[in-house]
Amino acid sequence: MATLNIGADDLVDNPTPRVPVSLCLDTSTSMSGSPIEELIRGVNLFYDAIDEDDDAHDSAEINLVEFNSSAGLIHDFASIERLQRISSLTANGSTAMGAGVNLALDTLESRKATYSGSGVLYYQPWLVLMTDGGPTDNIDLAVKRVVEMVEAKKLTVFPIGIGSGADMKTLARFSPNRPPLRLDGLKFKEFFEWLSKSVSRVSRSTPGDTVKLDLEGLAGWAEL
Amino acid sequence: MFKEFHYQVRGHGHLRDGTPVQDRTKYVSRDGVQALCLADGAGSASHSEFGAQAVVDEGCRLLVERFHEFAASPDGGQVKVDLLSRLLDKLQRVAERHGCEVVDLAATFACVATSGDRFLGAHVGDGVVGYLKDGNLAVISAPDNSEFANQTTFVTSSGALKSMRLFRGSLAGVAGFVLMSDGTAESLFSPRTGELAAACSKLITAVGTAPAQQGKNSEYRKRLRKLVDIRIRNATKDDCSIGILGRLETS
Repeated sequence: MATLNIGADDLVDNPTPRVPVSLCLDTSTSMSGSPIEELIRGVNLFYDAIDEDDDAHDSAEINLVEFNSSAGLIHDFASIERLQRISSLTANGSTAMGAGVNLALDTLESRKATYSGSGVLYYQPWLVLMTDGGPTDNIDLAVKRVVEMVEAKKLTVFPIGIGSGADMKTLARFSPNRPPLRLDGLKFKEFFEWLSKSVSRVSRSTPGDTVKLDLEGLAGWAEL
Repeated sequence: MFKEFHYQVRGHGHLRDGTPVQDRTKYVSRDGVQALCLADGAGSASHSEFGAQAVVDEGCRLLVERFHEFAASPDGGQVKVDLLSRLLDKLQRVAERHGCEVVDLAATFACVATSGDRFLGAHVGDGVVGYLKDGNLAVISAPDNSEFANQTTFVTSSGALKSMRLFRGSLAGVAGFVLMSDGTAESLFSPRTGELAAACSKLITAVGTAPAQQGKNSEYRKRLRKLVDIRIRNATKDDCSIGILGRLETS
């Protein structure tokens, strides 16, 4: 028998499959004060929780899209190792939610193309939409894109209403499979803790796994 | 004649979650036919370890029984139908015995069989089938992963027939075959290049050059199992399984 001498060069070191997560955040004027401060704390806590989870740490790639009078990319997709924690967000202007969601979807499509081009496997992308109000631009195209992708099982979407002023009927248009969530007060911390655990579940899944999101875990701090 | 090695090990993720090993392999040599099958039970299916065992059992039985008919058939579509029907019939019986639905037994399936100077095989789902021919490694059947990493086709899926890849050919120049589940493929297959790792060639050669008389715990089998238990298993959270046919002569 030939000597079984298998070195590192004989094996393939494939990259971990990725979970792209786009956080699409309302930074309009109404978010100023405590809401935006709590949101920043929540996002940073989300980053910390992903960092500490063995599975999500290697899989999650996160970008941050904001929308106020227009939409903009705060930072592009990056692994948790490369993500700087957020020190501030400025709340001003109106609520261009349609533009924000369209930008988030564009970045997700672009990221998937990057993965495909470099032979990196990936899981279904996630879009987290958080707002405390209603849209001031046309959201029809954004709704159509999201609904088509969700129904084709190509996107998981979490529309989140912040406080009592959130337009839940509008958010419901983005979520054909489950009702949107309304945060109880400003409990961003609890939501982002739950979100990081959910990302971890997905990153542990293997073919055939049905990833059941622990929606009951939201009870007490969000209305389903 | 080919020598064989087949093995499966429970993945770290399954160990952590308390789920059993859901990969299965089986080898049968009878009536001049050698058949090697591998299956990976679906994580979402409650009894997939039974499903995986059932399809490797039935797959080997069918290939030994009907190798020559399948190898000569001009109608590949009918061969796929016959193969899948037989596996599903078996799963139906197993489901009745366990009081579950057939979908609870979902598993991928890969097989290769040889006899005389011919080989044939089939593949449903992810994992990889490859061979070493004229000194070159080549993929015969690549993973069917749809778009996302945690999606694939199972024997029980509605699209199984459409997804099944059927292959056959001459054994001239063929030194051996390798079947692997997706967990093993993380170390032995590159989705980026679509190529097998160089280790596959060494593994096929190692099996092919093993001493003729070998017990189940022979030194070479222990070394191969150790490679799977440690190097390949540590590169993934998933179960790992592999099946290898190897021989010295290639013509």
